[in-house]
Amino acid sequence: MTDEAKEQIRPVPPDVREDLFVVIAAFNEVASIEPVAREVRAMFPNVVVVDDGSTDGTLDVARRSAKYVLRHVINRGQGAALQTGIEFALRHGARFILTFDADGQHRVEDIPAMLEPIWRGECEITLGSRFLGKAVNIPSTRRNLLRLAVLFTKIVNRVKLTDAHNGLRAFSRRAAETIHITMDRMAHASELIDQIRLSGLPFREVPVEIRYTVYSLAKGQSSRGALRIVWQYLLGRVFQ
Amino acid sequence: MIMSLNLFQIITLAVLGCLLMTTIAAMVRRWVTRREGVVWSLVWLVAGVAIVWPAAIGVVAGLLGIGRGADLLIYCAVVVMMCGFMMVYVRLRHLRRDMTVLVRELAIRDAHTNLEPAASETAKDFSP
Repeated sequence: MTDEAKEQIRPVPPDVREDLFVVIAAFNEVASIEPVAREVRAMFPNVVVVDDGSTDGTLDVARRSAKYVLRHVINRGQGAALQTGIEFALRHGARFILTFDADGQHRVEDIPAMLEPIWRGECEITLGSRFLGKAVNIPSTRRNLLRLAVLFTKIVNRVKLTDAHNGLRAFSRRAAETIHITMDRMAHASELIDQIRLSGLPFREVPVEIRYTVYSLAKGQSSRGALRIVWQYLLGRVFQ
Repeated sequence: MIMSLNLFQIITLAVLGCLLMTTIAAMVRRWVTRREGVVWSLVWLVAGVAIVWPAAIGVVAGLLGIGRGADLLIYCAVVVMMCGFMMVYVRLRHLRRDMTVLVRELAIRDAHTNLEPAASETAKDFSP
């Protein structure tokens, strides 16, 4: 961490830190889950890893590093895994819930800024935005794809966001109780935005930094994958 | 219009008769709802009429403006099949959703807790 980055980190009140549950959904992330979970846990005690039926030993590695490890015996998709983590957190008395990607593209240092508007009571949900913040080493194809996603969100979800599909999100308990992800696979990001709009819960975008590495890029969405997500989302809306 | 039935008609009518009896029996024993029973009975009866008197299909097709009875059958089959696919798909989605709920409950019930404290839990005066 650079000195510059250190200065930006906002303090988190101890009670907020204690009552925050960080939910990490992991599917075959054996290479990254341990450092990610350890890094988060060094700052926030309640780290919940939901292993979504991985076949590569993610479960054992996660058990060494996270405080709570849940396992989907059958792979159900990222949306389902996040909802599982959220429900677990709610049942364990969480007052704040934050979702964090397992591939190491998010920075733990961004968490305090994500939480601050919520514990100050300014809004119920914060969504990380790499375009308000910094996207390090973002390839141009990925940037354009994400711009398309923003446009899609603007038209279909009728919400104006700068970054529609960022895995870093924070919820108050009230927001987490209101929202329920039913789209099991990747279309949950769009579904979530729909639910936020319908619920009328106040939300805010917070600038965050995304680290694009060879690993996280390989784990991210290709253009074809993005089309598949749009298809899943539309099917999900039709057959609700 | 008593006429001689060919072998195909005899076999098919026998099968339809069995299906009708089974449906009625199932309805009486309440294995299926009354509505389901009536709908299926009607399907077997209509099929029986069409087998004994194939020209009837042609008459209905003519009323609908479709040239041949065979065409009407094909259209009906396509529509029924599409509806069938749709119903199976919707059921599959429900099943998947139920499966997720079940998998979720199992995951929460069998959650593994790591008792080894992390740095954030031991440091009393922690400030990030």
